[in-house]
Amino acid sequence: MVIAITLVISALSKNLNLFYSPSELLEGNITPGNIIRAGGMVTSGSIKKSTDSLEVVFSITDFKNSILVTYEGILPDLFSENAGVVVKGFLQEDGSFLAQEVLAKHDENYMPPEVAKILESKE
Amino acid sequence: MIPEIGHLLLIGALVLTFIGGSLPFYDLVLKKSFSQNYIRPLSILISLLVLGSFTCLIYSFLVDDFSVVYVASNSNTALPNYYKFAAAWGAHEGSLVLWILCLSLWLLGYLFSKDSVNDHFSSITFAVMNQVIFAFILFTLFTSNPFERLLPFSPVQGGDLNPSLQDFAFTIHPPLLYLGYSGLALPFSLAIAAMVTKNIDSLWARIARPWSLLSCTFLTLGIGLGSWWAYYELGWGGWWFWDPVENAAFVPWLISIALFHSLIATEKRGVFKNWSLLLSILSFAASLLGTFLVRSGVLTSVHAFALDPERGLFILWIFSYFIFGALFIYIFKNTKTQVKSTYSLRSIEFGFLLNNLLLVVLAISIMFGTIFPLLYEAYTNGKQVSVGPPYFNFLILPFAIGLGLLQGIGLFLGWSDTKDFKFFPRLVIEALTILIVINILLYFLFGSFNTGSLIACFIFSWIVSGNLLDVFIKKRTFNKIKSFLNFRLGAVFAHLGIAFLVLGVGVVSTYSSEKELILSVGDSYDLDSYVFEFEEVTFKQGPNYIADVANLKIKEDGRLIKLSSEKRNYLSTNQVTTEAGIVADLFKDYYVAVGENIQGDTWSFRLQVKPFVRWIWFGALLVAIGTLISSIKHLRKGI
Repeated sequence: MVIAITLVISALSKNLNLFYSPSELLEGNITPGNIIRAGGMVTSGSIKKSTDSLEVVFSITDFKNSILVTYEGILPDLFSENAGVVVKGFLQEDGSFLAQEVLAKHDENYMPPEVAKILESKE
Repeated sequence: MIPEIGHLLLIGALVLTFIGGSLPFYDLVLKKSFSQNYIRPLSILISLLVLGSFTCLIYSFLVDDFSVVYVASNSNTALPNYYKFAAAWGAHEGSLVLWILCLSLWLLGYLFSKDSVNDHFSSITFAVMNQVIFAFILFTLFTSNPFERLLPFSPVQGGDLNPSLQDFAFTIHPPLLYLGYSGLALPFSLAIAAMVTKNIDSLWARIARPWSLLSCTFLTLGIGLGSWWAYYELGWGGWWFWDPVENAAFVPWLISIALFHSLIATEKRGVFKNWSLLLSILSFAASLLGTFLVRSGVLTSVHAFALDPERGLFILWIFSYFIFGALFIYIFKNTKTQVKSTYSLRSIEFGFLLNNLLLVVLAISIMFGTIFPLLYEAYTNGKQVSVGPPYFNFLILPFAIGLGLLQGIGLFLGWSDTKDFKFFPRLVIEALTILIVINILLYFLFGSFNTGSLIACFIFSWIVSGNLLDVFIKKRTFNKIKSFLNFRLGAVFAHLGIAFLVLGVGVVSTYSSEKELILSVGDSYDLDSYVFEFEEVTFKQGPNYIADVANLKIKEDGRLIKLSSEKRNYLSTNQVTTEAGIVADLFKDYYVAVGENIQGDTWSFRLQVKPFVRWIWFGALLVAIGTLISSIKHLRKGI
């Protein structure tokens, strides 16, 4: 039992990814380099794709602040402007976000709860 | 008209299950046992009503009755008929009706099996099952009525079924999974009946065992199919994501396995009675908690299609009523169940004890990781957190090793004590032989070794020698092997299934290669000496979508393998999906998912080679077959 609890706690402490909104990211309390998650809506007109690599830059917003996200890889099919998105990765020294993983909403009715909450708090 | 009939039939079933759920109380009041004569006719009637209601729902889909809200939001005239049929359980409301149907079928199955005799025990089981069905119908009617109308302004066209659900595996995945989930209500009801009638004995264990095995069969098939679906449909090539909804099915699966092992000991030796009762309650609790997690949308998940706190609250009420009620009965039951039974640390009883300990602790740890974000949010007042997949991967390894070791020796252990340990050195030698052979094969295939797959190979070898190889070496004669298999066939199948599953997981997680890149027509890419060449893009017109099809070829030993991946656009909703191109042989899958059009003839791609991935589902299938064999064997034997 003790072994199991030790296992659980040590595994948990290494694998917790805190979630932040763009505004919280800008407050500057986050150590760059820690794996975290952030979410918001993709700002319209902000998606810039490279034509010779898979690099893409876009910004996500909670309608108060927005933050620039860089990602290299194939985006989910449902990724688009004005759609909710959750990115996992870390904050870089320059204040932009380097994403290792991008999750878009599953269908048009579904929105990551974290993003829904951000939108709610805005209203 | 038809939707109203469906609605009325469901209300009818609600009334009947209310009566059924309180039948034993009439016995109590009238001081005679009259309920036993009514349970079979009543359960047939309830099943028919629910089936009728479900048929009405399917009918509404087939005739495109968009005045029904649920049909309008989940179907479309352009949807092929087969998918209209399956769309009935494609979203929350309809899947609940299917769930209720599964529950009533389990009840029917039990009452008409050889295990069920006309007695008080069956009446109580019937009553508890009725209460469960009643609760779910109430939940459906009050929070998620699939027959709700959109009048007078009903749409002429529907919103369509989510494109990624328009797929064969998906159409049968929910029914199988629900059968598994809801099947756990039966061992639960039997446990309550055992406690109420004070029949906590080996007879009860014998009755409950095949049903817990059968639930496990369906859970295995449901989870396996879900994993397979995610693999080829979502386009990432992943087969398990530790998504909350996957965990919500995985946890009851683990507990159901613990349950039927514990029931063997209770049946044969009269030990672990209290533990088996608690496990029966726990497995149904896990099933309800899973439902709560999936249906309330409290967790971030690709599956959570219902974001409704009211529903979540309702399920929590159902959960509290049944689980706390059951625990209450458990605490106040007349505990004269202690049996003086001694067993040594080398007995099969102790083996089952370890098996149960590992399975249940693992299940609780996984559940803890799954709901931790909720607890954290409540505790920190709204701060959000997620538990990453490494948590689960790290955690499951020691448990998998422990369970693997047990599975290798389990069949050799005797009741009370194991006198003869001669099998052990023999087993070690056999396992090492298999291990060396596999690793030579792996080295030949991939040219390298790694620890992860070595552990998986070891578990595989150990289980295979303990369940199969040793039998052939030791017993030699055909008749001896045959009688062993007659007796142990289910266990052998299921354990071998786990062996293949573990091997598949170990190899695919360590030897896969993957590359995301941009290719123009004519380009090729060398992924670990497999050369993928992008040939051309063609256009395809599907029944309700249009697609760009990227065709690729792979050269392998002078053989040309062609595969194509589609980028589909479903016209009714303008949703874009990816169909991965997969070509498989025994040892590996080639997996190509086309990304997006960069410009002209240039597209992005995700190329993958996934060795042994199929063995995971093959293993799951063996587990399902094994548990099914055991279940049928015991059901046919009766009591």
